[in-house]
Amino acid sequence: MDIMDEIRDLSRKYPDRRGALLPALYVVQKEAGWLSQEALDTVSRALNLPQATVKGVATFYAMYKHRPMGRHLIQLCTNVACMIMGAERLVDLISGRYGLEPGGTTDDGRFSLVIMECIGACDRAPAMLVDTDFHADLTADNIFEILEKYE
Amino acid sequence: MIKVTIDGRDVELEHPVTVLEAARKAGIEIPTLCYFEGLSPFGGCRLCLVEVEKLPKLQTSCTLMTADGMVVRTETEQIRAARRSMLEFLLINHPLDCPYCDKAGECELQDLVARYGPEAGRFAEGKRRHPESFDDPIIVRNMERCVLCTRCIRMCSELQASYSISVTGRGSHSFVEPFSGGRYDCEYCGNCLTVCPVGAIMSRLHRHSYRPWFVEKETETVCGFCGVGCSMVLQMRENSIIRAIPRRGVGFNEGLLCARGRFGYEYVEGGEELTTPLMRVDGELRQVSWEEALSFTARRLGEIRDEFGGGAVGAVASGRCTNEDNYMLQKLMRFVIGSNNIDSAARNYYAPAQIYLERIFGQGITANLIPGIANSDGVFVAGGDPTAINPILGLKIRAVWRSGGRVVVLGVPGGLKRFVPYELIPVPYSEEIVLSAIVGRLLERKPPGGANAALEAKLRDLRIPSDDELGSTGVSPEDVARVSEDLSSMSTPVVVIGPDMVQRRRASKSLFLLGAIAYLTNARIFLLADRPNYQGLLDMGCLPELLPGGRPVELEMFRHKAEEALGMKVPEQRGLNLFEMIDGAESGRLKALYVMGENPVFNLPDGVRVEKALGSLDLLVVQDVHLTETARLADVVLPATAWPEKEGTYTNLERRLQRVRKARRGKMASYGREDWRILADIAGRLGMTKTYQRVEDVWEEVMHVSALHTGLGYEEMDGGRALWPYYGEPLRGMEGDFTVEGLDGLPEVPAPERPYLMIERPLYHSGTFSRRSKALLAIQPGPYLKMNPELARRHGLTGGDKARISNGRGVLELEVRLDDDMPDNQVHVANTFEGFAAMRLAGFGTDPVTGALYMDDNTVRVEKVLR
Repeated sequence: MDIMDEIRDLSRKYPDRRGALLPALYVVQKEAGWLSQEALDTVSRALNLPQATVKGVATFYAMYKHRPMGRHLIQLCTNVACMIMGAERLVDLISGRYGLEPGGTTDDGRFSLVIMECIGACDRAPAMLVDTDFHADLTADNIFEILEKYE
Repeated sequence: MIKVTIDGRDVELEHPVTVLEAARKAGIEIPTLCYFEGLSPFGGCRLCLVEVEKLPKLQTSCTLMTADGMVVRTETEQIRAARRSMLEFLLINHPLDCPYCDKAGECELQDLVARYGPEAGRFAEGKRRHPESFDDPIIVRNMERCVLCTRCIRMCSELQASYSISVTGRGSHSFVEPFSGGRYDCEYCGNCLTVCPVGAIMSRLHRHSYRPWFVEKETETVCGFCGVGCSMVLQMRENSIIRAIPRRGVGFNEGLLCARGRFGYEYVEGGEELTTPLMRVDGELRQVSWEEALSFTARRLGEIRDEFGGGAVGAVASGRCTNEDNYMLQKLMRFVIGSNNIDSAARNYYAPAQIYLERIFGQGITANLIPGIANSDGVFVAGGDPTAINPILGLKIRAVWRSGGRVVVLGVPGGLKRFVPYELIPVPYSEEIVLSAIVGRLLERKPPGGANAALEAKLRDLRIPSDDELGSTGVSPEDVARVSEDLSSMSTPVVVIGPDMVQRRRASKSLFLLGAIAYLTNARIFLLADRPNYQGLLDMGCLPELLPGGRPVELEMFRHKAEEALGMKVPEQRGLNLFEMIDGAESGRLKALYVMGENPVFNLPDGVRVEKALGSLDLLVVQDVHLTETARLADVVLPATAWPEKEGTYTNLERRLQRVRKARRGKMASYGREDWRILADIAGRLGMTKTYQRVEDVWEEVMHVSALHTGLGYEEMDGGRALWPYYGEPLRGMEGDFTVEGLDGLPEVPAPERPYLMIERPLYHSGTFSRRSKALLAIQPGPYLKMNPELARRHGLTGGDKARISNGRGVLELEVRLDDDMPDNQVHVANTFEGFAAMRLAGFGTDPVTGALYMDDNTVRVEKVLR
């Protein structure tokens, strides 16, 4: 389905066009992994919302990305519980293995790493999201086993 | 009745208002930063905090509604401490670069810190850095200074309804930006400049050129660009305009201006103004003295009058000149030279439409108040984009939408696109059929009430198109049903008529149908006007058939009255209109033409023919500010003063009379003379005995001669109070008898192979004046050829290509600009830029009923220019 149609379909589930803005942004972000100006313009046209309004909303939320991301987005929590359980060591390991600093993207465009706020999985800390997959009870032993599955 | 106590003072309120408003009403000042009168309350700056008894915490008075028995204190030690803290927070990231900030001196943050402190901040970290943005030619953004009051954003979305900026990012990285992040893609109204309390959004036009306290003089005047007539204040230093600003409480525009009004004033200081009179000697225009030019002009006019009669002389009045200027031109023609050949570019659409509608409904039918539109529950627009032609009127239409009313546009909605529930775009020149169908449906829903017998008789003869006959228009019967349903559901509707409904064959029928819609729905009519004084020049008698006050010259009673008032004779027969004068020049019947503040060679269709016709005159006099295309053909060119150097009055499209005041004088002022003075001088040399010292003397005479303007002195015009019907007598009893062409038929919708050339009326330009404004040129530097992508594709074109349009009358080469909203089979070009007179390529004819110009034979060949 054409992306414009997909957004318009989606907007029917909401009482007004503005209500559909956040999900519509997810729809276009899914395409390229980030929101380019063109992507924001697509949403603006599909929902007939002002471009500036779309941009204002899109830049407010951390889950929308405004520069190109790797094919897979690693979002690792380093809040209190995860930190105590060794999340920071995992950041170092990832950096060491892939040359990937928090906020950065690997040269081959495979991974981007984002340090995220509490993921709500403190009982199974440390935890991370890779794209939309949830992974918990991470250790130095299993982290690469998981990540290597993402090409 | 609500009783509240504020600072020990009892305040009684009819309606619940906010505590802040109640306090202001009682004369108690509460400091604010994010509050701005007219915008929705935001409660973000926390400076308007007040103590309210029985409420545990301080409250923001801008959002708290009053309640009976409330006891409020606005200035206590606790409040002062809170305000000080709020300001300390705001200063954490503020650069404190007041020494070189243009806002210093009129900065609300600076004033508040001066009042409440703090003297020093406790925040030891560094300030956020964000480079000042110079991406835009007009507006410079300094987001380090921004206090995120969001006044600009609320202005842009609530009042301007342009939605061009928003807060991007979050927390201390929140910045106000347009979508691009750089240059604005907006309407450049500049109203964000008005509301910004700090130096975050500033104009580049006068950057670092002055301090607010350097303003030596302020002149309250009326904008010279369009027929709305917004009030503005010109701030002067050393007789140069520093800036043009609106002021809330001054004028009905309520502190709003558009791009042209706010930024376009500089055309008067471009350095291209004429400095001396010019006369053609040996085929070339040479500088001469005023005496030489005036005596030559008067002598030649006299000779031609004596040899060929007054009817051999004609004049073109100006929609940019004041009532006084136009009155004097009319007097020179009618009473001194003895010719009723006087007309203006209002002939293009405004004059014929106005006169025709008045013939149906009576004088003053279009004299309705612009602010009143916002109270209406529905608007029907046909014939042009009000947000471009008359921007501030357009804002009122957007306000109707905001308050839940319905906006229906026949044609491309342009700046109203976001505000229409559906689009209704007929094939070019089929609007008449669609309007007939709408009227047909309306007649079923709203049977006429019998008030206007002549109109109702015509309605009975009206041919209503069948559903099949609608086929050629591209508008479906369902659309027509929807429109008529919307129209009949409106209880206080407004009908807005633009130029494109008049500049066509059978203008009388389109106007009749629009009038019928207004009649059946009991709507008020607004006629768009792209010049500030079209209405005024009509009322001053700059029409071949009407004397001052709109009295027909051919009726002896009125002619006698005018003759008696002035002690001078007027010819009995109506004169030639603008196009008849062109014809007359061509055929040799017209020997002399006096053109004041108009550029017919550029602004009339078929420029080649117009140019040739003017070239064959014995005498062409042009009185203007600049050496226009027409002035270059003249035998005599007389330099006039521009709008900020004029004293006088304009009559806007509501028929409100407003004062235009002189701001520039002294050595910075141009070398021109006021139009009326030049004319009075020439009239004096031709035998007029009356002399005038001041512009007031001219107006005195207008009050004496025009039955409409009796007793309406300048002092009556302050504060926008000079509203129709003034104190005079509107002309009654002339209505009722009118003709409609083609009432019982339906036109064939033309289907030309080549696209139509239509004239774009851009928001950022106005005629040929604005091309001398650097600011407006920075926004829109040149012409372009607008078309939809499909049409472009068919001609092998894409955006940015150079295309050639041509027909038998000429050739233009322009850059292609694609626009998804353009209808098929037409291209649009603005008739503004030197060397790009689009009107030149259009043929024209004169409507036999209304006398309006219609564009004809205006198709063009479009081809790609190969590099």
